[in-house]
Amino acid sequence: MVEATLRSAIEVDPAASLAARRHWLGRFGVYSFLSIFAIIYILPLFVIVANSFRPLPEIVQNGLIGFPHSLSFSAWSRAWSSYCVGGTCQGVKPNFLNSLELTVPATIISTLLGAMNGYILSKWRFRGSDFLFASIMLGVFLPGQIALMPWAFILGHIGLSNTIAGLILIHCVQGTSFTTLFCRNYYVNIPDDLIKAARIDGAGFWRIFWKIILPLSPPILIVTVIWQFTGIWNDYLLGVVFTSGRNQPITAALIGLATGNTNAKIYDVMSAGVLIGAIPPLLIYFFGGKYFVRGLTQGAIK
Amino acid sequence: MAMRSFIATLTGAVSLGLLANMAWAEPKTNMLHQWNSGSDAAAIAKLGEMFTAAGGKWEQTSIAGHTANTLAKLRSDVIAGNAPPAVQLKGPEIAEWNATGMTADLDPIAHEEGWEKVVAPELLPVMKPTGTWVAAPMNIHRINWIWGSTKAMEKAGIKELPKTWAEFNADCDKAVAAHVICEAHFSQDWTDATVFEVVVYGQNIDLFRKAFVEGDTQAMRSPEMVKAFDQFRLMVSKYMDPGIAGRDYDTTTSMIAKGDAAFFIMGDWQIGIFTAAGLKQGADYVCQQAPTDWAKPGFILNSDSVVFFKQKDPDYVAGQKLLAHLILSKDFQTIFNQAKGSIPARLDIDLSGSGWNPCQQTSLKDLQASIKDGTLVRSMAHNMTVLQKYRGAMMEVITQFVNTPSMSSKDAANAMADAVEAQKS
Amino acid sequence: MTQAIVPAAVIEAPAGPTWRERLNRALPIIVLAPSLIASLVYVFGFAIWTFYISLSNSSLLPSYDFVGFHHYAALWSNTRWKIAYTNLFLFSGLYVVLGILVGLGLAIAIDQRVRAEALWRTIFLYPLAVSFAVTGSVWKWLYSPDAGIEFFVRSLGWTDFTFRLTTDRNTAIYAVIATGIWQSSGFAMALFLAGLRSVDPDLVKAAQIDGAGRFRTYRKVILPTIAPIFIAVAVIMLQFAIKTFDLVVALTDGGPGISTQFPANYVYDLMFQRGQIAEGAAGAIMMLAALAVVLVPYSLYLVWRKRQESGHG
Repeated sequence: MVEATLRSAIEVDPAASLAARRHWLGRFGVYSFLSIFAIIYILPLFVIVANSFRPLPEIVQNGLIGFPHSLSFSAWSRAWSSYCVGGTCQGVKPNFLNSLELTVPATIISTLLGAMNGYILSKWRFRGSDFLFASIMLGVFLPGQIALMPWAFILGHIGLSNTIAGLILIHCVQGTSFTTLFCRNYYVNIPDDLIKAARIDGAGFWRIFWKIILPLSPPILIVTVIWQFTGIWNDYLLGVVFTSGRNQPITAALIGLATGNTNAKIYDVMSAGVLIGAIPPLLIYFFGGKYFVRGLTQGAIK
Repeated sequence: MAMRSFIATLTGAVSLGLLANMAWAEPKTNMLHQWNSGSDAAAIAKLGEMFTAAGGKWEQTSIAGHTANTLAKLRSDVIAGNAPPAVQLKGPEIAEWNATGMTADLDPIAHEEGWEKVVAPELLPVMKPTGTWVAAPMNIHRINWIWGSTKAMEKAGIKELPKTWAEFNADCDKAVAAHVICEAHFSQDWTDATVFEVVVYGQNIDLFRKAFVEGDTQAMRSPEMVKAFDQFRLMVSKYMDPGIAGRDYDTTTSMIAKGDAAFFIMGDWQIGIFTAAGLKQGADYVCQQAPTDWAKPGFILNSDSVVFFKQKDPDYVAGQKLLAHLILSKDFQTIFNQAKGSIPARLDIDLSGSGWNPCQQTSLKDLQASIKDGTLVRSMAHNMTVLQKYRGAMMEVITQFVNTPSMSSKDAANAMADAVEAQKS
Repeated sequence: MTQAIVPAAVIEAPAGPTWRERLNRALPIIVLAPSLIASLVYVFGFAIWTFYISLSNSSLLPSYDFVGFHHYAALWSNTRWKIAYTNLFLFSGLYVVLGILVGLGLAIAIDQRVRAEALWRTIFLYPLAVSFAVTGSVWKWLYSPDAGIEFFVRSLGWTDFTFRLTTDRNTAIYAVIATGIWQSSGFAMALFLAGLRSVDPDLVKAAQIDGAGRFRTYRKVILPTIAPIFIAVAVIMLQFAIKTFDLVVALTDGGPGISTQFPANYVYDLMFQRGQIAEGAAGAIMMLAALAVVLVPYSLYLVWRKRQESGHG
């Protein structure tokens, strides 16, 4: 049909036909470009989804890339509740719950702290506040390995070593750098006149925050929640070093599945485990993705 | 069997007066280790079962991935002021941590149970670095094994496993001519170092002792070391396939299983892996001491052990005593080592039973013979001799040599000596 | 940017501040103080501690006996460290430049009013959601000749096909770079897309009325207006690059040989595996130095931009 349109266009008006062909070629180019990249980007996801449903012998025989010939759900149930990893045979379920218990409070607290800090550093500036902001921002760049021993020392002294609370504290302090950065840059764009007007009406520090700043914040809060949730959920090193016994996060179980390197690879169980572990951050991205770009558009980038 | 062994353990505990302790302390422990998954995890789970059966409260913190992760956890706990009651540590690290004064003294229980008389003598300097017991050995691994794939050997017309390096090279030439990969391998720093130390040991035991046990850099620069690198280069360039980098352990095992490769030089945990993969000794694979040029039984030894850190909580102290007792018990040494492919750390256990693989029986025989002949050495590649910083420096050079075809043997020998000297200054 | 709104007292202050007003005035600082102090301890306390440790003789555990710059010398005499540091610069350069190109390309393509925009966006963003430690090992499978892409293409009948980036010490670093770009170019895309959406449509229209083609419009009008986003993307990707750790552990573990070592991996190894805490700390300080190479020009740029802005307004 497109061809027919094109041909009739050619007969009618050469200039218009050239434009139409150009347009058509351009569309084709855009979609092929996107498709080629999409195939590469989706390949690993396809491989783990497919392998989580393929029986192990089929994977071993036909290689890792392939459609399932027969569906098998056993890998999922084994990965969730019965595979032996981390010294127990309860699958990744306990670790999954540990991760939730850790990630949800740490995300909420660090986001609120970031919003509050961003509010103060943008709307209640004082002498040296820009310098302080720059200092907090440096935390974004600190390599995680150097923080291990100082954290151990601090947690030991305040009696929080090997507790989830201690780990939440670490993630809040480290995460506040990011959340403050995002929020401050976003709030800077809220007109100061709005705040001034509110103050003339007698609104104080808290009232302005609750009534003006927070209602304007959803786009940026979604950005920080996405950032913090995925960062904390995917952390391995801190989660392993600062927990003990059965409190280890999901990533510890996943690394256990991936690196039990002397044993025959259990590609099926590992794939299912990886997917289970990836579900919460993926859900957040699927549902928050639109707001993520929107929040960034509205000024997280400065 | 399980129930009877529990009862035996329990009565053992009673007879040792442990119950007297339990009257005021409920033994508990939290063991930090890296046997995270698969057969290793199953073996350690047995220890937990025995601990629980003896009335203890068992907890474990098992860490996946690199040893560095386990050590990071250990360091953080120590810095935080709550050192773990029990940790899997080995080799020179035992002495290092002992020197901090934080490790618990195991002498009372060791004397009570007479560990000195039953534990392999080569382990004693490692387990008691300053004369007091600080570590409980779980097993003895032998590194210098060569495994043969019966299928591949048949294809290549190789009748039996090579006894000397000359025979090894001759067999490999046959294999190459028959389009069979001679030596299965996957290149990581520790596997490259494992094969190389087996080569050095097989060529020249004195060189092994000087370079890898004493860390003598003169020996590393010697023509003998260059000769060992020459043999290693021959193996890497001609007898191994080009796919060694980036390969996994399990793929390498399946090369032997499928008959794609004839030989594999690797420690005795390979028995546990073969067994888990359903392979049978004799039918699918054969084992023998790795080649030596000096016609005697030899043994490169590696041992896993548990170190105990001083505790304030009497429950943990009681737990340490119970755990140490269990680890050295004949029952645990039997169950653990049958699963892992190693042999017990105590030499008074009979390995003729059906639970033991013929390779393990050979291992014990060769261990005793090598003690008599003075050929027993500890493994450098598996962290039983020099400090980690020297070992790391040596392994870097060895793995670089494997992956850099243009690196000459002489350069490698000098680079190794230089790297170790840099750590000494 | 307007100057600070100095606290409330300005408006209604006849007879000297009461305690309540004082409290009100100090409130923002009181609220800010706890997390601020925590952040400052985290940033400066930890960095200074690490620097001091790098000058000490710490081995198995941190100790505070001063020995000077000895460990820096030892570090820089080590081949593995030199390879790691070189890799860091090679990786950072290619990763940032190619990551920006890919991200920008995808953003521009998506900005052409494509159908199912949300779907495309999600496809390119999802790698960010999943842990590097995990995706690294999936890519390791794909790169593996025994089971991955090579195996697959050969099984389709193209038996001479080879795809062995990770098994050759000369190419393995490019596999790491490619995988890194795969992981984070979605983030660059999101930022660029955000930027493209914020460009004033009138500006674009004006350019088109002037007869500028699409390509010219992008080059002359749109891209210059989103220049700050390039900087933001570059800085964020650079900090990813310098922290690169999980990716390498999962993908190549520093191999073949020591060809894909990175500073973070070596520092971790020194500090925890080998009990050379001081030398590890020296390595960490060198990583911070590499960061400074990036951050100092960046902050100078920010200061410069601020001057420009206040100069105009």
